[in-house]
Amino acid sequence: MTRRVCIAGGAATPFDYPMHITPEAMIANCVVETQGDIPDFHLRDLQFMVYSHFSVHFGKQLTPEWIVHDHLGLVGLPHVRIENGGNTGGSALYGAFLAVKSGLFDVVGVAGWETMDNVTQSQGSEFIALASDTRYEALAGGIYPIYYAAMAYKFMKEHDLTEEDFALAALKNRNNAANNAKTQWYRGEYKKYGRPLTVDDIMNSRLISYPLKRYDCCLMSRGGAFTLVTSEEWAKKHADGRYVVIDGAGLSSCTIRAGDRLHFPGWTKLYGEGYPDMTEFAACRKSGEDAYDMAGIEYKRAVKEIDVAEIHDAFSSSETQIYKALHWCDKDNIKEFIREKRTFLESDGGGDLPANPGGGLMGYGHPVGATGLMSAIETYYHLTDMTPKKHLSARTYVPDAQTGLVNSHAGTGTSISNFILRRP
Amino acid sequence: MGDDKRMHRIPDEVKFSDSHKDDFRGDVKEIGFHFAGYDWDADEEQFKVYLHYDQLYYWKLAEISKMGKGFLDGEFWATQCPNCGDKFFPPRVNCWDVECNLAKSEWIKLKGEGIVHTFTIAGWSGKSSLKRLPFVLAYVVVDGCKTAIANELRGIDPWNAEFGMPVKVVWAPKEDRRGTVTDWWFEPDDGWEPSPMNPEKERMKELCAPVYDWVKSMK
Repeated sequence: MTRRVCIAGGAATPFDYPMHITPEAMIANCVVETQGDIPDFHLRDLQFMVYSHFSVHFGKQLTPEWIVHDHLGLVGLPHVRIENGGNTGGSALYGAFLAVKSGLFDVVGVAGWETMDNVTQSQGSEFIALASDTRYEALAGGIYPIYYAAMAYKFMKEHDLTEEDFALAALKNRNNAANNAKTQWYRGEYKKYGRPLTVDDIMNSRLISYPLKRYDCCLMSRGGAFTLVTSEEWAKKHADGRYVVIDGAGLSSCTIRAGDRLHFPGWTKLYGEGYPDMTEFAACRKSGEDAYDMAGIEYKRAVKEIDVAEIHDAFSSSETQIYKALHWCDKDNIKEFIREKRTFLESDGGGDLPANPGGGLMGYGHPVGATGLMSAIETYYHLTDMTPKKHLSARTYVPDAQTGLVNSHAGTGTSISNFILRRP
Repeated sequence: MGDDKRMHRIPDEVKFSDSHKDDFRGDVKEIGFHFAGYDWDADEEQFKVYLHYDQLYYWKLAEISKMGKGFLDGEFWATQCPNCGDKFFPPRVNCWDVECNLAKSEWIKLKGEGIVHTFTIAGWSGKSSLKRLPFVLAYVVVDGCKTAIANELRGIDPWNAEFGMPVKVVWAPKEDRRGTVTDWWFEPDDGWEPSPMNPEKERMKELCAPVYDWVKSMK
């Protein structure tokens, strides 16, 4: 029998901009909250630490994980940091998965954070743009929302979609976030509205880069998260009823410059000429297919088998593009898939595959190194029935979910991971 | 090993006889760490420090130097795989097809013309580009390359840009060129005319209006 890897606990801090808490205190808080859920878990159990942190520019501090590790009292324990752009959290989780799967370790901690509130938003945008090919793209005035907008506009045209179609993801995730006290939306702008957002609110927000407006874009944040990745043996013994199995894991890559994937030979050989172009996320499709294969999920049945998903909605448009990359819909039915609100919660007139009930990057926030872990934790809460306790009410809880999907996404689709989580 | 034609040569010594290291320096100073101030909240006991950090980088273009020098001279140099013939701009120093097994690419000069593959109208950008807003960022396939390159599309009302429109490369005045992609931009090809206004263009124009006002109000 193959060794199964589990998530047996985890927690995130609130995400906000600005927020006054050090990285070491963020991770300490997350460990304490995890111990509240999993009383058997002690720092002494940890055998290996994987740190998930994107940019040393925000802290003006190289190897900041050395500070966190030392301040948690874990000196002597092996540790590494994984950095993979927006997919840093997913990649760190992938690293921890490999570490336990290999049989080398039974209990691995994954700790991630970002301190993006150390600089102004426009400086922050420029720092993130340093993760594009600076020689060509950032210099030309490009920042990530601009690259994504250029990809989204072509996708929108080719699929006969409208700005309003993208707006549905934007309002869904923020309205979900309004039921989660840790989210940046709830802590901030929601207080001003005190009501759910409408399509008009999204349409009337300021232009970022056509067709994306401010509310089509995720939030820049400070925040941290911790995830406990263990062998099933450990999970059964110490976290019974509060663990999930990582049944599928995939990680894939694409070009750094979006303009370089019109005819990339590797993709042409795998998926045919003209794919992914600048409209599709091939690395999402490939890592999703790898995760589905590992979990025994037929691609066309994915939409039926997955009960809840936390996906990387850096932009409302990219959430929409991800629906297609993960085989939830295709070119012919994507419009109906969106307009039938298949990814909304049932209580919001939604469908069969609620995506980002935790609020996602647009509602919860996007402190890069913590984000993918937050997505995994939110999915874990559903599959262990802890969501009603963690959110303000059961409104954003997906009851009886058996299978969850976690997606983490970087660059212009440059590195993407997908995980399938199941109840044991 | 040293005879393998795919190897990139590393020069033993480089002497820059033509040096312009301060031509565009302006007020930029390298002072390293500079603590500019602090804040204190006595009620919450919260302290905040203002740190400024400044650093000059030396980007050595090495084996793609021909591209940088080409920009100064108003020439557009790309590379091509001698094996499969794929043409790249930005230049790749080896072929991207693993079947070509790192075939070392060769330089070819491109014609400064291309086709808009996709585009967007930026209404927000990084700190150093805010004053140029709103601008069109276009991904353009230049002279039959297998790749599209991003740069600004000027000489057009942003809402008039179109998929598939023909564009030309326009060079900055020679004295302003720095050997980077900011030495050139795209403009509509001679003879290209925008299509009539339509509801989508009106919508874009409407979204641009507050951006123009905001930029005007910036110091």
